[in-house]
Amino acid sequence: MQITAIATVAVTIFMLGSFLYARETLSKLSSGMLSRIEISVFLSDRVDDKQGRAMSEVIGADPRVSAVTYIPKAEGLRQLQDRLRGQIDTSLLTSNPLPNAIRVRVKDPDAVPAVAQSIQKMRDVANVEYDQATVAKVLRLTETIAKLGLIMIVVLIFAAAVIISNTIRLTVFARRREIAIMQLVGATNLYIRAPFMAEGFIAGTLGALVAVIVLAILHAELLPRVMVTLSFIPFSTAHVDEVRLMFELLAAGAVVGVIGAWVSVSRYLRV
Amino acid sequence: MYPNGVRALDNVSLEIEKGSFVFLIGSSGMGKSSILRLMYRERTPTDGEVHVDGMRVDTMKRSKIPYLRRNVGVVFQDFKLLADKTVWENVAFALRVTGARSKDVMRQVPRCLELVGLSHKSRMFPHELAGGEQQRTAIARALVNNPKILLCDEPTGNLDPATTSEIMELLLRINLKGTTIVVATHNQGVVDRMRRRVVRIENGRIVSDEERGYYFLGLGQSSVLSG
Repeated sequence: MQITAIATVAVTIFMLGSFLYARETLSKLSSGMLSRIEISVFLSDRVDDKQGRAMSEVIGADPRVSAVTYIPKAEGLRQLQDRLRGQIDTSLLTSNPLPNAIRVRVKDPDAVPAVAQSIQKMRDVANVEYDQATVAKVLRLTETIAKLGLIMIVVLIFAAAVIISNTIRLTVFARRREIAIMQLVGATNLYIRAPFMAEGFIAGTLGALVAVIVLAILHAELLPRVMVTLSFIPFSTAHVDEVRLMFELLAAGAVVGVIGAWVSVSRYLRV
Repeated sequence: MYPNGVRALDNVSLEIEKGSFVFLIGSSGMGKSSILRLMYRERTPTDGEVHVDGMRVDTMKRSKIPYLRRNVGVVFQDFKLLADKTVWENVAFALRVTGARSKDVMRQVPRCLELVGLSHKSRMFPHELAGGEQQRTAIARALVNNPKILLCDEPTGNLDPATTSEIMELLLRINLKGTTIVVATHNQGVVDRMRRRVVRIENGRIVSDEERGYYFLGLGQSSVLSG
């Protein structure tokens, strides 16, 4: 009976843990991708280098900005030549068509659109560009995951609580005579509940522990292989705080156990 | 009125004085048990008030009920002992759940066991005891918290006549020490022998209330009833 409860909680917490882990990894990955998105600010032709650098500093002073690089047109042309080498013979260019530019990196990927907008409002800014399509897509993905995640978490925790509640109920039922007598002689409800809640706590924590161990083993075994297979994804930037996740899962198990027990005993404590 | 629509008690008004000994009589299902249940808050009245030891019981907060129960001992026909505990442990249990200290437990339990005459059997389990002894254990348990009132719902229902007398004698002794005792019974012999206040309940109503009553109404001194 106890084993069933522990096993089922283990499975539920395992699913919860896998899901949370996947979600956090995805979330960190998308943040990583987004943070490398650059905002390219093209300055008007009136602006010379000195003014350009001054503008960079102003932009750099924005707390949302993590890095600013001033790229004078000469430098811009050189980078372009490097990139297009072999495709176009740029020696044919007589003048440098490129404007002076500033490349901006932002701390929080969610802020990219907002920062771009505020830069656009500055004087002498001709154009502000960033990979809008990608940013929008990634932000949408993160949002969906977050919403889905919340639902899944609630459902899984609820399922685990119901399972524990049912198992404890069997014990409570078996001891209903004693509970009735306890009430008769004047035991408080808390006194009656306590041993069952302890039982729930243990079952929940043990179940979570089993799940955590399995997850840890899988993590150690599978992750290196996944990283090799999907090597184009920069996993290194997606470092999930595993220790914290572990404690969260254990806590979830314990809480679920206690609440499940509380609920099942309550049904027998009519008065 | 019980949830299933049965009107257990109809317009009942009853006052029991401290230290008295009262019989509630009437055939089964007439309402005796219901009165007792109101007194230890096993049920609440659909209408009316219940006062026990100066406290309003029917509207009492749930959290206070355990404390009421410690002041009102209850004894049942089926004893309601914990089968996996010895006599000593059963009696001690009622004290322990109140959070009493070991010292108090060690003092009170033997006293109660002695009062009911079971000191020599304190290590036995309920199934090893005769019916009368089990009931005495239950009485000891009901008394261990020094309640002011002892309610007995058909306490001798499962016992033979000789044991019945012993138990009633015990209850009398307890009453003489000052505990109010209310006994619901349909054992006419017991009632007639003891000649205490008799309240008769029929169909949920109090039909008679005599200070030194007999089981049946209107019987004089020359009764030849035995039981």
